[in-house]
Amino acid sequence: MITKSSPQGLEKEILDLEYRLQNAKARLAVASGQEPSGDSYLPLPQDTAPLLSSHALFLLSDSALPLGSFAYSSGLESYLAHNKPLPPKITPTASFHRFLKLSITSMASTSIPYVLAAYRHPEDLETLDNDMDASTPCVVAQRASIAQGRALIGVWERAFRGTYASGPFSAGVAASEAAKAIEDFSDALKSCSDAADDLGPKGHFAPLWGIVCLAMGMDARQTAYVFMLNHAKAVLSAAVRASVMGPYQAQAILASKGLQDMIMNRIDREWDTPVEDAGQVVPPLDLWVGRHELLYSRIFNS
Amino acid sequence: MQITSRIMPIKSPFEASIAKPGQGNVVLSLLPPSNPTLTTLTYKYPLKLLTRTPGYVPQSSALSCPVSRPVHLYLLTYGGGLLPGDHIEVSIKLEQFTRMVVTTPQGTTKIYKTEPSRSVKGRRAPGRVLSDKSRQTLDVRIEKGAAMCYLPDPAVPYKDSRYEQVQTFTVDSTTKGSQRSSLCMLDWVTEGRKSRGENWDFHLWKGKNEVYSVDESGKKKLLLRDSLILDEELDEGSLEDEHETLNRTGVIRERTRPHGIVGTLILYGPVFERLANFIMDRFTSQPRIGARNWSSSAPAAVEAPPNFDSKVTFTAARVRAGFVLVKFGADHFETAKDWLGNILREEGTVINEFGEEALCCL
Repeated sequence: MITKSSPQGLEKEILDLEYRLQNAKARLAVASGQEPSGDSYLPLPQDTAPLLSSHALFLLSDSALPLGSFAYSSGLESYLAHNKPLPPKITPTASFHRFLKLSITSMASTSIPYVLAAYRHPEDLETLDNDMDASTPCVVAQRASIAQGRALIGVWERAFRGTYASGPFSAGVAASEAAKAIEDFSDALKSCSDAADDLGPKGHFAPLWGIVCLAMGMDARQTAYVFMLNHAKAVLSAAVRASVMGPYQAQAILASKGLQDMIMNRIDREWDTPVEDAGQVVPPLDLWVGRHELLYSRIFNS
Repeated sequence: MQITSRIMPIKSPFEASIAKPGQGNVVLSLLPPSNPTLTTLTYKYPLKLLTRTPGYVPQSSALSCPVSRPVHLYLLTYGGGLLPGDHIEVSIKLEQFTRMVVTTPQGTTKIYKTEPSRSVKGRRAPGRVLSDKSRQTLDVRIEKGAAMCYLPDPAVPYKDSRYEQVQTFTVDSTTKGSQRSSLCMLDWVTEGRKSRGENWDFHLWKGKNEVYSVDESGKKKLLLRDSLILDEELDEGSLEDEHETLNRTGVIRERTRPHGIVGTLILYGPVFERLANFIMDRFTSQPRIGARNWSSSAPAAVEAPPNFDSKVTFTAARVRAGFVLVKFGADHFETAKDWLGNILREEGTVINEFGEEALCCL
């Protein structure tokens, strides 16, 4: 398991910081109109190592990652329908901000413990998947989680595994253990029947996200952060398509310090939460998500 | 209420281990030919357990095999609630083909908060503004063919209180079909004492309900976990604050809006199958949200006739392993109580299988 204080990790961090320092100095020089002294070009970093995990980070945070996340609004569509018409003093944007905050808080409390547990103990994947399934209170949320989890396995197997499971990009012992665990889990998933009463592996998104990130050499913090950021992106993208706001406004929220702080704060809170203590902190959200099926017209699957 | 206990003076093998305050232990056995008997019943202050076996014999049952008379267990605490630091630990075992009804005859379970200034007479230890957590655990083992019906009053957490409860149910997974264990369990929590203006003003309420299955080898598997965490998220800094009143974050209120009570009903097993189907039908046949009456020129949504379902927001889902999970929220306790009591009475399973008394909290 990679720890934060391993020599390689620290070396990587130092290289990364040096690179960023140089970069910032050069930009300062340009901004203040000074003639760049001596070397006018940015020196290449001596080692490309720091970019390795960044590359995986860019892949996994890409909104074009084919997980089908665009099909889910995580309860937003139902929330809008349940809060219609809005009281006169509340603007649609304010109402959406409330939902975004509740959704991020709830996603963190129910899922981050599973993301991190799978990252820290890849060998427990099947148990984590079972426990996550047992803790998902409605079929709508279950459907969304399983569809994205299985899509992630598909992307790993068809796209990422070739590069990350072996060879120069393999990120160490923990990563290859993770790759092995995903393979075992995937086999179990394929061999189990799809009967409704079956208690076999399901393929929930949160634990699989943790383990795929481990296999691709991401650190635990990034793993949790990108998970939450992708969730925020999906909700904002749904908001644009549900005509709550325009795309620029959505990007502005996504870029805002408020959103960053909120995500960091929720991750800090759940950093040491054992999966047994994961739970719902926003009870009405379960109701909105569960009642999505009652909507007369729907544009999303959840 | 007349409570006739039928406690038998049987020496329990657990007697020595039951010395801790707040612990209780109950074993219900079916002695031949068909005589439900409490072979163990022990408890220690502040917990009190009373039982009675009403004469009620289930007239018609969902089960084809002969069913035993339900035994009624009353969960009581001195003062009708829990003080900070109180730990209640109840362990119940329902042996094969027995039936138990569990209720709280004292009304709502009050979660008290003692004012530090009152108990220490003006002198307050620095940094000790938060009261101790009170805690309740319920561990129930339901053997094959046995059934439990647990419909208590809601918990009412007082302002500034801190409480945690863990309810664990273990069912038998070695049998299938009509010999499976059955469970009906309700867990609900209110915003506090509405009459005193309390509106989700407590510090912490954590409720976790888990159902495990156990096979021949004793291996456990988690079937269902329902976990609710209502936490005011006060950080260390605000605890050491010397001000008389803590700065409220108001996050619980924000996260429960617009409800004044939220709850969960869990249904499992052959005894409650009909009730589970009834509630699923009730959920799926609710009027569509946002439906419009296209035939008329009026653009307004079709208003459903006012009924209980329109005052209570609920969902029902057949999740897995045959569980039906019902979640609901309402503005008042009375609204939720009427709604749920109405459904259970209309459908009839609970009264048929366990008698009218099983619904005494509703």
